Amino acid sequence: MKVESRTVLGAFAFLTILAIVYWVLVALHGSSTERSGIAMLVFSFAAYALLGGYLLAQYLRRHGIPRAEDRFDATQEDGAGVIDYFPATSIWPAAMGLGMVFGACALVWGLWYLAIGAVLFFGAVFGWVTESDYTEDVLPGSDPDELAASHGDFASTGAHHDH
Amino acid sequence: MTILEERPQLPFEAHEPSLMEIVPGPRPHGIVKFVTSTDHKQIGLNYLFTGLAGFVIAGLMALVMRTQLIVPNNHFVTENVYNEMFTIHGTIMLFVFAGPFAFAGFGNYLVPLMIGAPDMAFPRFNNLSYWLYLGGFSLLLAGFLTNNGAAQFGWFGYAPLTEAIHSPGPGADLWIVGIGLTGFSGIFTAVNIITTVFTLRAPGMVMFRMPIFVWNILVTMFLILLAFPVLTAAMALLWIDRHLGGNFYDATKGGQPILWQNLFWFFGHPEVYIIALPYFGIATEILATMSRKPVFGYKGMIAATLSIGALAMGVWAHHMYTTGAVLLPFFAAMSLLIAVPTGIKFFNWIGTMWRGTIVLNTAMLFCLGFLAMFLFGGITGVILAQPVLDFQLHNTYFVVAHFHYVLIGAVMAGFGGLYYWLPKMTGRKLSEKWGKLGFALLFIGFNLTFFPQHDLGLRGMPRRIETYNAGMGWNFLNELSSIGAYITALGVLVNAWNIFTSWRNGELAGDNPWDGQTLEWACSSPPPDHNFEALPPIRSERPVWDANHPDMLTKVGH
Repeated sequence: MKVESRTVLGAFAFLTILAIVYWVLVALHGSSTERSGIAMLVFSFAAYALLGGYLLAQYLRRHGIPRAEDRFDATQEDGAGVIDYFPATSIWPAAMGLGMVFGACALVWGLWYLAIGAVLFFGAVFGWVTESDYTEDVLPGSDPDELAASHGDFASTGAHHDH
Repeated sequence: MTILEERPQLPFEAHEPSLMEIVPGPRPHGIVKFVTSTDHKQIGLNYLFTGLAGFVIAGLMALVMRTQLIVPNNHFVTENVYNEMFTIHGTIMLFVFAGPFAFAGFGNYLVPLMIGAPDMAFPRFNNLSYWLYLGGFSLLLAGFLTNNGAAQFGWFGYAPLTEAIHSPGPGADLWIVGIGLTGFSGIFTAVNIITTVFTLRAPGMVMFRMPIFVWNILVTMFLILLAFPVLTAAMALLWIDRHLGGNFYDATKGGQPILWQNLFWFFGHPEVYIIALPYFGIATEILATMSRKPVFGYKGMIAATLSIGALAMGVWAHHMYTTGAVLLPFFAAMSLLIAVPTGIKFFNWIGTMWRGTIVLNTAMLFCLGFLAMFLFGGITGVILAQPVLDFQLHNTYFVVAHFHYVLIGAVMAGFGGLYYWLPKMTGRKLSEKWGKLGFALLFIGFNLTFFPQHDLGLRGMPRRIETYNAGMGWNFLNELSSIGAYITALGVLVNAWNIFTSWRNGELAGDNPWDGQTLEWACSSPPPDHNFEALPPIRSERPVWDANHPDMLTKVGH
């Protein structure tokens, strides 16, 4: 997480300097219509501050213990374990996408389309958030303990990356 | 520079059992797979071929425009149709083809493979972004079916042309929401890929061992996170102007048309790098593999990418010099500065090829075509970055020639990427014979189309005029340009035919047809579900090369 957070915080530092320089130059020479540029640069460095700050917090939370993917000498064994839950297939993203397209049509042709769009969208939200639990119950071998039991050499040490 | 002592302990074998466990699941086929698959490879292919469809459709519009301009005082299409053509041509090429083809198509397919991940971090979210992208594309095209036709104000939709009184009807609204949806799709892809790169790398795949392609995609994604929300906001304000009586861009009611230009180009210039950076990455990977050398100046390349990404946020108003409302010295200085990291990249590409064992196949030819054309576009860019020259050339065909050289230069690398990675995606190589013919036609066609347009611009031909008088001295150059467009179309046909036939009957590629260096060549072609059955030890930025050539290990410096 060290390189990740430093990359984003570096971009934050650059954009902060850029915004200040631009602000000063506009104040000295520019016209009043350039306020939008200042606003957007401030938005930019604020956005990077948020993201970089989060990554830095993640880095500090580990007290300098690197993840397997941050170590130059890590082997594949260091990454053994369940990586993550990867859903196989799902109809809900397509339903939600269709709902959002109908929502977009409502902006063009009238609110009538919003009714269809909202039904699809919220139906998809419901299906999506309830899907994970349902799948974990149904799919064989998705339980880490069960996996550990079925693979003798496989330690269920949880995710090899932190969330 | 020292050579690490511990080197790959075991020779890498393709089917050694994996230590990673992945939750299995059902895998449907056919249309159900297309709709419901959360596999990053399926979604990547969806993006690639939807993008290519956009390229063909927008290319046909370009042919209509060039046919209209082939002789003076032509009446092939009406003014309105011509305006719709150049508007939707630009919009589709930028928002549907050039950007998503690379960052979402190649990005989706290759980023997890290159960092040794089983899939993207949010697979369902990934599927959703494809549907938003396809929805946006469809709505952009739907404009042609409405009574007043599609939008007619050019791809950057300057106020006040976009206001309801000048562009009535749903065509302009469809343009707004179509771009809005592709914008959302881009933001979702950005969130997904950034999370994937930060949290799903294989053990040992530290940030400074990731392929340059992954670094470039990562920086692209950060640019998307800053640029696309601004575009969406600008579109929302425009929609409020058109439907709810807002006055953001309407000068007659106290609004500021220049606000639109600031908002649009604050998105629009980073968008140029959002388009270009992934193609830089594609070119880097192909050049390194085909020269059989590691990337020259690996960290310098990353530094150049990061500087391009940072400087890209401060150059937006160089599109607005002639408005008289922007700070000329600031934007001229920033625009000239950004040529420096791009120059570093060219230096490193040449350094990568220098004294390498160069394999001149189609993928490599496309990369060399990219180097030549992008360099030319970059040089005219430096010309246009200077206000004194831009005041002369603004809104002429010189600008059209400039950005087509930049974008088609980049897209050349994209075609190279198809020849390089389709064997991985389909398991079959593309025909070299047809490929070289296709490259020759495209290269000649593109240059013949756009080189004369520099001169047309210098002779004062403004962009976006649907016809011109015979006595302007523009006839011959326009004729050349149109003939070039037809040759380009022939080149696209040859390449499409090549992809179509090779998909079924091409030579079997095997896992690693080019003796590649990065992790995507460690799995089978096409890769299985969740990608890797085994991973080679990752001890440098080219683990597969190290595993296959233990006598020629990559030198590593920390």
